[in-house]
Amino acid sequence: MKKDKQAVLIIPTILATAKLENVEVDFRHLAAIVEYSNDAIVSKSPEGIIKSWNTGAEKMFGYRAEEVIGKHISIIVPPAYIDEEKKMLGKINNNEVINNYETIRIKKNGKQFYVSLTISPLKDQGGRIIGVSKIVRDITSQKRSEAELIHANSELTFQNDEKEKRAAELIIANKELAFQNEEKGKRAAELIIANSELAFQNEEKEKRAAELVIANRELAFQNEEKGKRAAELIIANRELAFQNDEKEHRAAELIVANKELSFQNDKEEKRATELIIANKELAFQNEEKEKRAEELMIANRDLKISEEQFKEVNEELESFSYSISHDLRAPLRAIHGYSKMLQENYETRLDTEANRLINNIVNNAKKMGQLIDDLLTFSRIGRKELVKTDIQVDTMVRNLCNELKSEQIDRDIEFHISQLLPARADTTTIKQVWLNLISNAIKYSKGKDPAVIEIGCETKGDEIIYYIKDNGAGFDMRYAGKLFGVFQRLHSDEEFEGTGVGLALVQRIISKHGGRIWADARANKGATFFFTLTKIMTR
Amino acid sequence: MNQGIEILLVEDNASDAEMTIEALRKNNLANRLLHVKDGVAALNYIFAEGEYADRQIGDIPRVILLDLKMPRVNGIEVLQRIRADERTKRIPIVVLTSSREDPDIAKCYALGVNSYVVKPVEFDEFQKAISSIGLYWMIVNQQPV
Repeated sequence: MKKDKQAVLIIPTILATAKLENVEVDFRHLAAIVEYSNDAIVSKSPEGIIKSWNTGAEKMFGYRAEEVIGKHISIIVPPAYIDEEKKMLGKINNNEVINNYETIRIKKNGKQFYVSLTISPLKDQGGRIIGVSKIVRDITSQKRSEAELIHANSELTFQNDEKEKRAAELIIANKELAFQNEEKGKRAAELIIANSELAFQNEEKEKRAAELVIANRELAFQNEEKGKRAAELIIANRELAFQNDEKEHRAAELIVANKELSFQNDKEEKRATELIIANKELAFQNEEKEKRAEELMIANRDLKISEEQFKEVNEELESFSYSISHDLRAPLRAIHGYSKMLQENYETRLDTEANRLINNIVNNAKKMGQLIDDLLTFSRIGRKELVKTDIQVDTMVRNLCNELKSEQIDRDIEFHISQLLPARADTTTIKQVWLNLISNAIKYSKGKDPAVIEIGCETKGDEIIYYIKDNGAGFDMRYAGKLFGVFQRLHSDEEFEGTGVGLALVQRIISKHGGRIWADARANKGATFFFTLTKIMTR
Repeated sequence: MNQGIEILLVEDNASDAEMTIEALRKNNLANRLLHVKDGVAALNYIFAEGEYADRQIGDIPRVILLDLKMPRVNGIEVLQRIRADERTKRIPIVVLTSSREDPDIAKCYALGVNSYVVKPVEFDEFQKAISSIGLYWMIVNQQPV
């Protein structure tokens, strides 16, 4: 290698020295090669004065040839490298060759850069050193790559270190993870146990929940029941409150009644004294009566009534009723019948007075017949057993009113009937009650135009109060006590015909039913009759 | 044509009998009427016995008007006898009585009486009742035979 370079570098020496005609063409070729090389090719004197400067040098250092030829080489050497240059010149001067020496040079613009130098001495034919050639190559990019590699290496080294550290850390971390895994394994096993426990508990809870659902339903049902019961209690409370009020009223009434009684007691004490006197008188009379009684006892010995005999008497009474009805009616019928026959067959032959007398006989016989019939009805009802059923009173009364009204075509009668509640009672006898009361209302409102008869009812507790009101003759309430007595009458026969049995019968029927009857009236202002019957018990 | 008795009146009370006949007579229903005064006479007539022995038993009246309360043999017994005999049990019988209190009403119906009538006290009513009975059984009603 050294030999080759040496060969090349011989050329300028030849150029500088040879004057030979036959080498002139080769010289020109060589000059062109130097001129157009990309490397800087410079020659200098042994003292360092620049002798030649090719195009490559111009491009590399920025100096043109004419600027630097004749100048010292130090123009392109950084101050720090002047000594190195001197040493290299010294080596050359000692016939040494410097090949590819790497160092720093400076450009015209002051920029320093890496170069590789090959320096050789230029000798004359006698071997004397007459100059130095220098080939300069720019190795900046090469240097840069080297630097980058170094940097990259150190970077890699650093990264390796880092990775090793990281690996070490990872080993530790792995161990840690392995440990944690193990822990998790243990934990998982524990969780499996815990899960099965929970599953069992869940199942238990579901069972419990199902039981609770049933229990809830039961509670809901009980709540409902309690709600109903509460509603019933509210009603019961109201009823009790109402009853309390009623009892308070009653208590107040009793206090008044007590005062009245104590007043009467005082009166009765006075009366008692009077009675003592009277008693003495009676005692005397009693003695007399005892004597008489003894006489009567003898006479009545056979009539002593024991309980068994009482039955017999009752039976006798029934046959007595029969006898009365049968045996009294027969002659009565005869009296009536013959009088009528007399009237019919001999009317024209008898005078007015005779006819009037016959008429009286007829009327009285008729009246007696009526009395007998009424009395028999009265006694029959007393003996009759009641057969209680649910009676549609409304229908019964409306039918009766229609029937009775149709018998009174010559009178103007207005019936005002409210809805009448059904009752639990004996049909036959209750019909008799309504018949008598409605008939009475019609009879005693005779002469009123129109006669107004109002019928209605209201309930109180478990009884129904029926009423029938007319706008007829009424009566004086002072005689109200006689109203329901047998054969008792508050009007004369001339005013209103009657036997005095109708209301007695009505009272007897109502009291047999366990009801009450009363009346409210004023003379000529009409009368109202009230009676009570038992409500139908509805379930 | 039945030329015999059409109405047999069994009545012990002369007045009732007279008034009954009077009521029927007014309606021309009394022409073939026989009045017997007690149960014995009634049974003798029906069964052609005693004073009526020469009578034809099959010659039955159209109706018997029967009082209940009679001496010796009463109306119930008469009714019983007539109903118990095959030859006479279909004869229509109307019981006439004074009382609606009579405990025998039920017994009469049980024995197969055709009608039970309470004699009204009032003459007009009485006449009306008797006339109705007569007209019904003599004219309206179809005989069993």
